[in-house]
Amino acid sequence: MTKANAGSPLKALAENLVMFGRSHGADEIEVTILEGTEFSVDVRLGHIENLCEAGSRGLSLRVIKDQKTAHASSSDLDKAQLENLVANAIKRAELAGRDECGGLPHLRKSQIKASALLLYDPEIPVLDPNKKIELALETERIGLSDKRITNSHGASFETRVIRTTLVNSSGFSREYEETFCSLGLGLQAGETDNKVEGSWASTQRTFKDLETSEKIASTCIERTVRQLHPRKIQTQAAPVVFEPPMTSWLLGFLFACVSGNAIYQKTSFLTDRLGDKVAGDAIFVSDDGLKPGLLGTTPFDSEGVPSQRTQIIERGILKNYLCNTYAARKLNLKSTGNADGGGIGPHNFYLHAGTLPPQKIISTLDEGLILIRTIGHGLNPINGDISRGAFGLWVEKGEIVYPVSEITISGNLGSILNSIEKIGNDLEFRSPIAGPTIKISELTIAGA
Amino acid sequence: MKHLAYKDHFHLSDSDLQKILHVALSRGGDFAEIYLEHKSFSLINMEEDIIKETSESISLGLGIRVNSGDKTGYAYTNDISIEKIKNAALTAASISSESSAQDPTSFCPTPLPHNFYPVLDPAHLASLGDKISLVRQTYDAAQKFDPKIKKVKASLVDQIQHVRIVNSEGLSIADGRPLVKLVCLAVAEHSGKREAGYCGGGGKVGLEYFRHVLTPEGIGQEAAKESLHLLEATSPPAGEMPVVLAPGHSGVLIHEAVGHLLEADFIRKKTSIFWDKMGSQVGLPTLTIYDDPTLLNFRGSYNVDDEGTIPKKTPLIVEGKLVGLLQDRLSSRLMGLPETGHGRRQDFTCIPIPRMSNTYIDKGEYDPEEIIKSVNKGFYAQKFQGGQVEDSGKFTFSVSSGFLIENGRLTSPVKQATLIGTNIDILNKIEKVGADLQFGFQTGTCGKEGQAVPVTDGCPTLKISRMTVGGQS
Repeated sequence: MTKANAGSPLKALAENLVMFGRSHGADEIEVTILEGTEFSVDVRLGHIENLCEAGSRGLSLRVIKDQKTAHASSSDLDKAQLENLVANAIKRAELAGRDECGGLPHLRKSQIKASALLLYDPEIPVLDPNKKIELALETERIGLSDKRITNSHGASFETRVIRTTLVNSSGFSREYEETFCSLGLGLQAGETDNKVEGSWASTQRTFKDLETSEKIASTCIERTVRQLHPRKIQTQAAPVVFEPPMTSWLLGFLFACVSGNAIYQKTSFLTDRLGDKVAGDAIFVSDDGLKPGLLGTTPFDSEGVPSQRTQIIERGILKNYLCNTYAARKLNLKSTGNADGGGIGPHNFYLHAGTLPPQKIISTLDEGLILIRTIGHGLNPINGDISRGAFGLWVEKGEIVYPVSEITISGNLGSILNSIEKIGNDLEFRSPIAGPTIKISELTIAGA
Repeated sequence: MKHLAYKDHFHLSDSDLQKILHVALSRGGDFAEIYLEHKSFSLINMEEDIIKETSESISLGLGIRVNSGDKTGYAYTNDISIEKIKNAALTAASISSESSAQDPTSFCPTPLPHNFYPVLDPAHLASLGDKISLVRQTYDAAQKFDPKIKKVKASLVDQIQHVRIVNSEGLSIADGRPLVKLVCLAVAEHSGKREAGYCGGGGKVGLEYFRHVLTPEGIGQEAAKESLHLLEATSPPAGEMPVVLAPGHSGVLIHEAVGHLLEADFIRKKTSIFWDKMGSQVGLPTLTIYDDPTLLNFRGSYNVDDEGTIPKKTPLIVEGKLVGLLQDRLSSRLMGLPETGHGRRQDFTCIPIPRMSNTYIDKGEYDPEEIIKSVNKGFYAQKFQGGQVEDSGKFTFSVSSGFLIENGRLTSPVKQATLIGTNIDILNKIEKVGADLQFGFQTGTCGKEGQAVPVTDGCPTLKISRMTVGGQS
């Protein structure tokens, strides 16, 4: 595991490059090195299809001179090459426009220890490859053992170990290691012209937290076969229940709309809305990069700003945007530690859970849709419009009566936030953006 | 016209490569390959009236693949010391566990038989100043187009990718591939409404493209026009109705509804709805679809695919009959069918898989005006954000702008609609095919299994007798 201030060779390389940049005319310079190893195995119908194992590293940097910025990156870590890249970037910076909001963040003191965030599982780098292959095979085997399953997209097991090193000319110099593992399965059910498909995966930082093969396979089977023999429904407006993966998808769109870059660029419908009531009273949305062991957790962002907990929506009121240093300066705000490369990333962005079990929410549907999957594009942050292809389960009198497909749902995020009637108690952090089951009072469903 | 010949960045001799192939086959695999890639990439971004960002990026690495029957072992590295490469070769070799080692055939470099991307003025050799002025011209054209244009973003991205492929069957072939794209996003605002328009162009071209084919001014103005058009637009009606697809951008439909499901891996695995339909009539006789990696200077074209196969214009559907697949090396061997040169990969970290290149519906005989006139009440889909398909044939595509058709004429502008259907059903509803084949923006990227590759799509004006349109009213 990473020891504080124990300088790795890559950290020394980054520190030297920062010094080189400063002595060759850069006012500020930031160097990031990612070093990783990856293992992945795909199995299908009981056999290994692909087995991939690799290590790679890459360096990226930005230099600022006279408030002008240039970026560069390279996978070739040869010292002479890198110095050349820095020198070029300094020259290139002169051709950019002067931008007073550019530049590195001021150094902030941070008490956050990477080790306390549980980002690294020492078991993952030493996992026996045969065990990983067996896990994938076992998961698929259980999936295929169900008679209703007619074909398989295969199962995969993947692990990644990443070391991030960040050094800048403001005195920041830290590194940390993190691990990921994931086990997933994709299945088909039904005959040739009436196939349905489903998938399920578990991703964790710690191997022992991964869902079991049985759990993943049974969830995948259930999610696949419940779509068999779908019907088309008439075009109508109806209440819609979002399953947790669908709530997460909706929150992903909300995330894009509260991202500081979209705000200062005025490409979000939530521009200039801080302090406004944008959602119902029961809505609380947070971003929390400090929750130990979660996928969106990190000690500091890609600029070295410490992670924090940020309230986005509180009792329906828009409290904060998520910012990197640049967007924060543009908006006269403070960085929330969400810098991610040149952009802004979620660090466990979630809708707070309610108290209702999901089954209870479904039982309140007199007639309506449970949204289980969407496909396609059709999200427009500039006005909040949503329009997507959808798959669902039709509910009458609180009971699921049949699956539906070939429908689209459409609505507007601004109005959806005000029409979340019920919130489930089933919040799980399966990805860096997460939410529980919710019920929306009405969406347009286009069908026949 | 120049051909951007392969430039070596690896300093590995042919005998080094031969030794690595030896190691790769040391555990009895039946095929080994080394994919060497060097890519340099440059980006210029203009926003808020200044050049906000310039970026330069270099990536260098190689991937080693070993096949043993239908199994693939893969390893890659960007540390190109002989030691590390041999380790990678051993890792890939472990997919096979036989005791007898195979000997690779010694290779001798094959020259490329053609050049599908002749350029005059290679972007990667142009000065940063010249490239910045292209971006500025684009930006200014959009911004000055109308006072309602409140915000513009313009960017130029160019890269040169050098690839070399050597394999245990004696192949050694290399290619230098340029790729350029100039894009503009314009945001228009009026009485509380805000809409964004987009336009872009490029391909495997040189900068002369922006003088002769699509000028920066043209790109900027088109993005501005689109955003103004959307300010006037309303949400489309929801439900089933006749749909007319505009030529060019609507090629996305065929990319999703047909192209993906004819990628040979999905057919071989019987997950595609088309797997048992080869040779059968799946559409009306007016429908003919090709995938053609050989179109001159197109974004999706290549002289050689990422496994060293010379690509061919590949008929997929001819007069409504399913006739062809998009093959990579592995699938064609396993299926006993000829290769088509569609094995592509995002970069050296990825295993090649069957992919599309430039996919299009061939022109038919209808006058586009006549097609619109034949619709009493329906939807005219003009520009698209993209689409998605599942193996089961269910697909959607997202229309960013279009018009209502009323009494055979385009009337009110419409925005943001999703079209959804099942491919087998839709192919039989393509009633009329126009004579006006066009291609969409040369800026598209297709994703499959996490790998992004540049593609283009095209089609003439099409009439689909009925399709579900998802709108809000």
